[in-house]
Amino acid sequence: MIVEGTYTFPGPREVVWHLLLDPEVLAKTLPGATSMVRVSEDRYEGKMGVGIGPITAAEFDVVITMTDKVVPESYRMQIEGRGRFGFTRGSAAVRLTAEGSATTMHYQADMMVGGKIAAVGQRLLDSVSRMMLKQGLESMSAELDRRLGKDPV
Amino acid sequence: MKPAAFEYFRPASTEEALGLLAAMPGAKPLAGGQSLIPAMNFRLAAPEVLVDLNGIPALAGITMLPDGGIRLGAMTRQHDIETSPLVAAHAPLLAEAMPFIAHPQIRNRGTVGGSLAHADPAAELPAVMLALGATLVLTSAAGERRLPAGEFFTGLFATALDPSELLTAIEIPAPAPRSGSAFLEQARRHGDYALVGVAATVTVAESGACDLARVALFSVGEGPVLSGRVAVALEGLRPDAGVIRAAAEAVQGDIDPPSDIHASAAYRRQLARVLAGRALERAFERTRPRQSTSETR
Repeated sequence: MIVEGTYTFPGPREVVWHLLLDPEVLAKTLPGATSMVRVSEDRYEGKMGVGIGPITAAEFDVVITMTDKVVPESYRMQIEGRGRFGFTRGSAAVRLTAEGSATTMHYQADMMVGGKIAAVGQRLLDSVSRMMLKQGLESMSAELDRRLGKDPV
Repeated sequence: MKPAAFEYFRPASTEEALGLLAAMPGAKPLAGGQSLIPAMNFRLAAPEVLVDLNGIPALAGITMLPDGGIRLGAMTRQHDIETSPLVAAHAPLLAEAMPFIAHPQIRNRGTVGGSLAHADPAAELPAVMLALGATLVLTSAAGERRLPAGEFFTGLFATALDPSELLTAIEIPAPAPRSGSAFLEQARRHGDYALVGVAATVTVAESGACDLARVALFSVGEGPVLSGRVAVALEGLRPDAGVIRAAAEAVQGDIDPPSDIHASAAYRRQLARVLAGRALERAFERTRPRQSTSETR
């Protein structure tokens, strides 16, 4: 499954860069994340719960590894999630371009989901990942506003 | 497969059920159980408390409203709607859609309210209610509120229902004079989740121009989509082949369908255009007086 798109953050690129790599921000903004710890410079470990409608029980242990970092322009992420109900594995490429005082994020992720959750929820994976991405980006954007001292939306 | 342990209540009245829901956060109402129970058996859902609504006779039934519309109790079985002469006469779109919902065994148990409250993006009934302009009655211990179907569905498996509320009834307005409707869906096999489906109602003025066009699509995103562009493309115009074709194309601007192993987003977009065009053709044909309508359709 390929998820790609762009999203514009209302703030300068350096600030967005640090925001995206801050484990506290990730824990706060990733949908369903209950914890996110930076165990080394480029490795994050955490827990995420996926709750969609009647599905409330899918909790994943997530490991994110950052590679190919070019500050403050681009990085790649290896993402691995494992839970009682299945697994997810994939990689994502993120590129940031400055657009005046705003920053546009270009992302492309290729994710694979397997196990029970994929067997039961195959037809929903695309919609669910889009929804989670949208929620995550919007709450990161709100966090950015907060950091820049703007009123929260 | 067996579900995780849960507590089970079977109230005998709506008031009792609402009291239980208010007293126990995390309690989940059980209607026909055709989605919730499989999810529990897969252990994808693990509610701690179930409040079974099947012992409340007042929640089921189909009745006429004084203005010529009909009222469906939320616990009315889908099979009873499918075979109801009242529904066939006063909400033909709903009657036409019923056989597309899963399989007869599932419709024997599944309820209209259960399907609406579950809000599966591939479900037929949410789109039908949008096309019909239905009103949903939500009841809590504090009282009752009424929402147009368009405000009830808020996202993927998400509705405006508060956990302490029950969807208790659905009211469908009487069809306007010179109105017609049609329902179409495409699935890999009958009973499978729709790749795309369309529910359409149209009304024409005495001049023959289209007065109102409501086209709702499902299985094209997070929830049912009422196409605003179709209404703009049709209303005020005489619905000839060219106008219908343009309206069907306009549908594509209102949807952003997902891709899965069954169909790509591009295929769904194309299917939406084709099905919307066919549904509109049929719906306009059915606005004409009965005797001239072809019964073979």
